[in-house]
Amino acid sequence: MTRDWWKHMVLILGTIIVLAPFYMMVSYSFKSPGEIDRGEGGFFGRQEMMIDPRCVALRQPDRADIEAARARFAGQDDANVQAALLAETEASCSMRPVVFNYSKAFTEAPLVRYLLNGVIVTVSIFLIQVVVALPAAYALAKLKFWGRDAVFGLVLFCLLIPVHAIALPLYIGLAKLGLTNTYAALVVPWTISVFGIFLMRQFFMTVPDDLIDAARMDGMSELAIVWRVMLPTAVPALLAFAIFSVVAHWNDYFWPRIVVTGNRDLFTPPLGLREFKGDGDGSFFGPMMATATVIVTPLIVAFLLAQRRFIEGITLSGMK
Amino acid sequence: MAVVDPSVASIVKAKPDNRRARAGWGLVAPALTLMALILLVPIIVACVLSFTNYSLGNPGFDWVGVQNYERLFTRSSYEKMFIATFTYVVTVVPISVGLGLGAALLVHSLGRIGEVYKTIYFLPVMATLLAMAIAWEFMLHPTIGMVNRTLELTCGTWFEALPFFANGCAEGFPLWLGDRDYAIWVVCFIGIWQGFGFNMVLFLAGLTSVHRELYHAAEMDGARSAWERFRLVTWPALGPTTVFVVTISCIRAFQVFDTIEAFWPQGGGPNKSAYVMMFAIFEKGIQQNLIGIGSAITMLFLLFVMFLTLIQRWLVERKVHY
Repeated sequence: MTRDWWKHMVLILGTIIVLAPFYMMVSYSFKSPGEIDRGEGGFFGRQEMMIDPRCVALRQPDRADIEAARARFAGQDDANVQAALLAETEASCSMRPVVFNYSKAFTEAPLVRYLLNGVIVTVSIFLIQVVVALPAAYALAKLKFWGRDAVFGLVLFCLLIPVHAIALPLYIGLAKLGLTNTYAALVVPWTISVFGIFLMRQFFMTVPDDLIDAARMDGMSELAIVWRVMLPTAVPALLAFAIFSVVAHWNDYFWPRIVVTGNRDLFTPPLGLREFKGDGDGSFFGPMMATATVIVTPLIVAFLLAQRRFIEGITLSGMK
Repeated sequence: MAVVDPSVASIVKAKPDNRRARAGWGLVAPALTLMALILLVPIIVACVLSFTNYSLGNPGFDWVGVQNYERLFTRSSYEKMFIATFTYVVTVVPISVGLGLGAALLVHSLGRIGEVYKTIYFLPVMATLLAMAIAWEFMLHPTIGMVNRTLELTCGTWFEALPFFANGCAEGFPLWLGDRDYAIWVVCFIGIWQGFGFNMVLFLAGLTSVHRELYHAAEMDGARSAWERFRLVTWPALGPTTVFVVTISCIRAFQVFDTIEAFWPQGGGPNKSAYVMMFAIFEKGIQQNLIGIGSAITMLFLLFVMFLTLIQRWLVERKVHY
């Protein structure tokens, strides 16, 4: 330990830099606008009651309210009644900064909808990728047929193509088909994962042929073998691939930014966050950081719970 | 009667093979179709369109020959694009690979306690880059940001002897994202911050496969210092990992987009100092509907990336051991 102290010093310095924006993001999501402005309040802020100016502005007591409340404030003049009502409104509009920030994050924009879209898109991408890649990988690994090597060569070639780079022609194609601003546009370009085929093929190569022959003896069709024999054996590889796929598409900003324009109902979490940035003024830093925290948290928590699996899954993407 | 006609025998034998061949094609067919439609056809389309002045919604288009490419190499805004892209790649790749290797060596030498650092350094890889870019934007905010507030703490201390701090204390610290001298470097910094943990993990995987005996052997041969052991054993053993990490980092660096778009949605940074290729494709091809020029940038982009990957394959196949 004493011998290694300098290593810890260096690594701790790195830790501070790596964690600083996370610290700030979470901390600002707890603080009131004033505290953010003045840089006060430590990590959690002082959590003093604050008044939401928008809420007050919306519920400003008008003539009718004063008339209605006259009975409660017998014998007082209008100005006093109005002042009393205003005080009531302010009381009902005051809350802790943390409640303010997180409730604004969920009410100011349909954040739940964005999160749901994120789940729909990532899950359907992964499922379709598996449905397409698994049979292909099995055929390339275990079936001998004319042209197999050519197909595999094509897979290797396609590994060279980053899908982000051909975004423009894909966008044109989808626009021609009238598919922009649909779930299909978000999912279709990712339905083929050449990397998934490659990964599964390498995995299937290690599965003994006897297992497959036995299944054939039982009269299973090749397709049935894929789903009932190969799929269960491939679970560890599939899990790694799932992590890689979900992380990539949950965090993806580039593609949704291109094909979803304006239709808020289709926004994925990163797009929703960007929207927040677009129309927020100074007082919205807190809610914005709350939104950022909400969309970053699911993957981070999953990662902390199952680190080894996650690192395996993400590192595989290196092979892409 | 026991003699079976040879032709019949061959048919009987060929039948399951035939069936399996058909099954094989049937199983790869969906993947093959999608591969063609989603990956191959678009490249051809981009290639063709890069020689036209096509824009979406127009009924026709004209062939303009290599005019789009000519523009890319003559106009100053594209010169800025190349400068920004290569500045980013040339800065981010060596530093993130270097830091990744350094962190991996330190973490590896610490054993189990090192795992904590591994977890922490991997967090930015997992986090949504757009969210983190916005968090960094706040960190770098000239008045409410933590960075400038921290820098202001140095005012009145011996730090002021340094020109940067003296200047900052007198006239205010940089605007960072609004200053063309700093903008691209800030983006590079965030790129490194986000990506080096990934490289570290790849190097760690490489390090665990280096055999202990090699170190003993090196020591027997007189390699006493840590540096000698690194130079003679660790570094050569990490050769293939390094090739791999460098290529991956290059490809990822070429594709930088999220931070640029988050910071400057209107156009690639102060004075286009951060106008990277991916953003240029997005701006020209999609926002401005200049598909010809966007396709030309796409083609160049693909060329760079494929070239890099091919170099990597070639190096790996030669089984690099320096």
